[in-house]
Amino acid sequence: MLETLQNLYLGFSVALSPVVLLYAFVGCIIGTLVGVLPGVGPLAGISLLLPVSFGLDATSAVVLLAGIYYGAMYGGSTTSILMRIPGEAASVMTCIDGYAMTRKGRGGPALAIAAVGSYIAGTASVVGLMFLAPPLARFALRFGPPEYFALLVLGLLVLAFMSGGSMRKSLSMAALGLLFGMIGIDPMTGFFRFHYGLVELGDGIGVVPVAVGLFGLSEILLTAGQEKPPEVIKPRLRELLPSRQEWRDSTWPIARGTLLGFLIGIIPGSAHIISSFVSYAVERRLSKHPERFGQGAVEGVAGPESANNSATSGAFVPMLALGVPSGPIPAVMLAAMMVHGISPGPLLIQQQPELFWGFIASMYVGNVVLLILNLPLVGLFVNVLRIPYALLYPAILVFCVLGVYAVNGSVVDVGIMSAMGALGYGLRKFDFETAPIVLGLVLAPMIEMSFRQSLSMSSGSYAIFFHRPISLVLLLVALGFILLSLRTLFTRVAEWRRKLGLEGEGEIKEPGKI
Amino acid sequence: MKKINCARGPICRREGAMGMRLFLTLMLLPLAMAPSAFGQERFPDRAITMVAPFPPGGVADLTARPVAAAMERILKSPVVVVNKTGAAGAVGMSYVANSKPDGYTVLMALSSISIIPEADKLFDRKPAYTMDQLLPIALISADPTVFVVNAERPWKSVKEFVAEAKKRPGEISFSSSGVYGTLHMATEMLSHAAGIKLKHIPYGGAGPALTAILGGHVDTLASGPAVVIPHIKSGKLRPLAGWGTKRVAALADLPTFKELGYDIEFYIWAGVFAPRGTPQPALKKLRDTVRQAVNDPAFKSAMEKLQTPVAYMDAPEFQKFWDMDAKMLADAIKRMGKIEIKEAK
Repeated sequence: MLETLQNLYLGFSVALSPVVLLYAFVGCIIGTLVGVLPGVGPLAGISLLLPVSFGLDATSAVVLLAGIYYGAMYGGSTTSILMRIPGEAASVMTCIDGYAMTRKGRGGPALAIAAVGSYIAGTASVVGLMFLAPPLARFALRFGPPEYFALLVLGLLVLAFMSGGSMRKSLSMAALGLLFGMIGIDPMTGFFRFHYGLVELGDGIGVVPVAVGLFGLSEILLTAGQEKPPEVIKPRLRELLPSRQEWRDSTWPIARGTLLGFLIGIIPGSAHIISSFVSYAVERRLSKHPERFGQGAVEGVAGPESANNSATSGAFVPMLALGVPSGPIPAVMLAAMMVHGISPGPLLIQQQPELFWGFIASMYVGNVVLLILNLPLVGLFVNVLRIPYALLYPAILVFCVLGVYAVNGSVVDVGIMSAMGALGYGLRKFDFETAPIVLGLVLAPMIEMSFRQSLSMSSGSYAIFFHRPISLVLLLVALGFILLSLRTLFTRVAEWRRKLGLEGEGEIKEPGKI
Repeated sequence: MKKINCARGPICRREGAMGMRLFLTLMLLPLAMAPSAFGQERFPDRAITMVAPFPPGGVADLTARPVAAAMERILKSPVVVVNKTGAAGAVGMSYVANSKPDGYTVLMALSSISIIPEADKLFDRKPAYTMDQLLPIALISADPTVFVVNAERPWKSVKEFVAEAKKRPGEISFSSSGVYGTLHMATEMLSHAAGIKLKHIPYGGAGPALTAILGGHVDTLASGPAVVIPHIKSGKLRPLAGWGTKRVAALADLPTFKELGYDIEFYIWAGVFAPRGTPQPALKKLRDTVRQAVNDPAFKSAMEKLQTPVAYMDAPEFQKFWDMDAKMLADAIKRMGKIEIKEAK
């Protein structure tokens, strides 16, 4: 404990040195700007700017990149809330209630809650990272393919709780997403599936073009189809801050989102993407008024935003403690260290205490910077809404195309985005929700890979999922969820009987939706 | 598009091929920029694009950047690294193979350049590119893979390992960066030479493959030395042998497979290519420039930090090396054939 504090002192003396502080600032600013560009998320941002860090010293480079990472994470929520354009898969859930809040004139509070939630989640998870990194990292390594598969099954079940609309509709959308996820190279045999002669489809359909198309473009198209243009929202200064009630409603979602995000974040792989989906589902499930979700519930912003931010720090746990590239973004950070001749590994903390503790301290600093930077910017960003739609929407369209193109320099991605925009428009006309498609698309390749890896490990025996304790526990929890949802089925039957038996007994309540 | 140039630092911090990159770069001007310089000679009279077909931070990218930086110091004209990624490098490689052969688009490719056309042949699909669409310019680096096992496994030597693998065919597992990927190839060559059968668990990249062996989910892995050395030092992984003709400098005690009597050799190499049809003067200029670039002190120190040995070869030599390497890989792929998924026993 005392040692940790001494180390932290060392860390802060590094992080608060003017140069490092400058890079933390610059990183956060660039990250926020990158994140605000539609379609350009943290991974794209950090990859594009990696070469810039080569000329710095190792600590400044890592601090700069980390700043870009969480800056972009936060910046992505801005476009999600104000324009319904997700910067990356993790902000898809923020789009739903965040944008609904904007339509109701509560865009400012949504942004403020997202900023505060991100700050709390970021700071709390750094505390977790600091004290628990080595033991947690060792635990995280025990997640092999079977455990990963069980976790993803749990994630898939979340689908059922995700939307407020018809269960049949949301499951069919999820199935569509899972089908889209089958496109690309078969990970076990190298076979190309559904590529139609396009080499670019070898890696499958990217999540970002799909999300931007389904959410952003479809919204633009729907608005254009309205008889009267929607009124321009004129935000007033007084309405920029969340109300007392909104703060109260956000407290627990932020706390739960933080914990959830951190736990999911430490698992090596790309599972951190599902943290915001899971958080949204949990909040909806726990809420006394689940029907408010989708109509601008502040919990639907607070939970997922906190979850995806603490998942960010969680992902650094295996990277810093063991030198394991635990996901695409930590892999880029590790490359940045290797360029400076630092071999990331289990001995990093002992061999490079300035780097490790400087990094930890800079994350505290970075989160404060982000908050200072973003709260005043809320007022500025909200003013974007004052622009008449005839000017705003074409501009957004241009930025969507630019952003999606810039990530891979691929015209195919722009095509995918446009097709998904049309698809999203059609589906939303028929009252289908599009979020399950994105979740299906995110989950499908991961589930397939881990399932088939597991079966390769066991030479085809399904028993592997039950012999390994972590995977067994996760599958039991999943079973519990299914049973829980069956309960509502029973109550529904009871409701139906009562309706038959006691016809005319006054108003019958809507049976509980699953 | 405006050209931006810099001539300071071991690795050039410049991006500029696309609108957004340019925009981002401009924001970073105070961090990274120095006065620009423009070429006065006929070739190059504008920026050369060096395509890295893998994402930033990968071997191709990390090799391309110091090479490009050294080249532009020599040419006094910008050399821009662009990452064109997708489908295990096929997207970027076919982009260069099909681009205008004028010397202004070059490729930094890895060993996998020879694998993709063979795999396309195997599956009877229209090849993304063919190898004769590309001309070798120079080999930059060649890193022999090393064979590591999880330290909790009992095998202390290749002999013990092979004996056990013969006793339990198809039970000892290895992870790889993906089917028909370089790490898969290396282990396949070992299996063939030793007459053993191992269980393949492919992962989506070298990073996840390393995570898998550290977590004990697989038993063995073939990997580039730089990424496994820290884990060997910390005692989590145990190296058994290396694929090079010479021992790896940082692991001087580690025997090579050749010393142990297995006639196999495997390197993850990186080399510069240009599209076939590039005019001779431009080719010559490129070859001369790369030759000087590999002797550039900043380049050398960058590669040293990455712990990647420089193994320069000029075009004629490189062509021979490439032909040999490609044939070896093609044989391995033919031997492996299509991978079939068997039903549970």
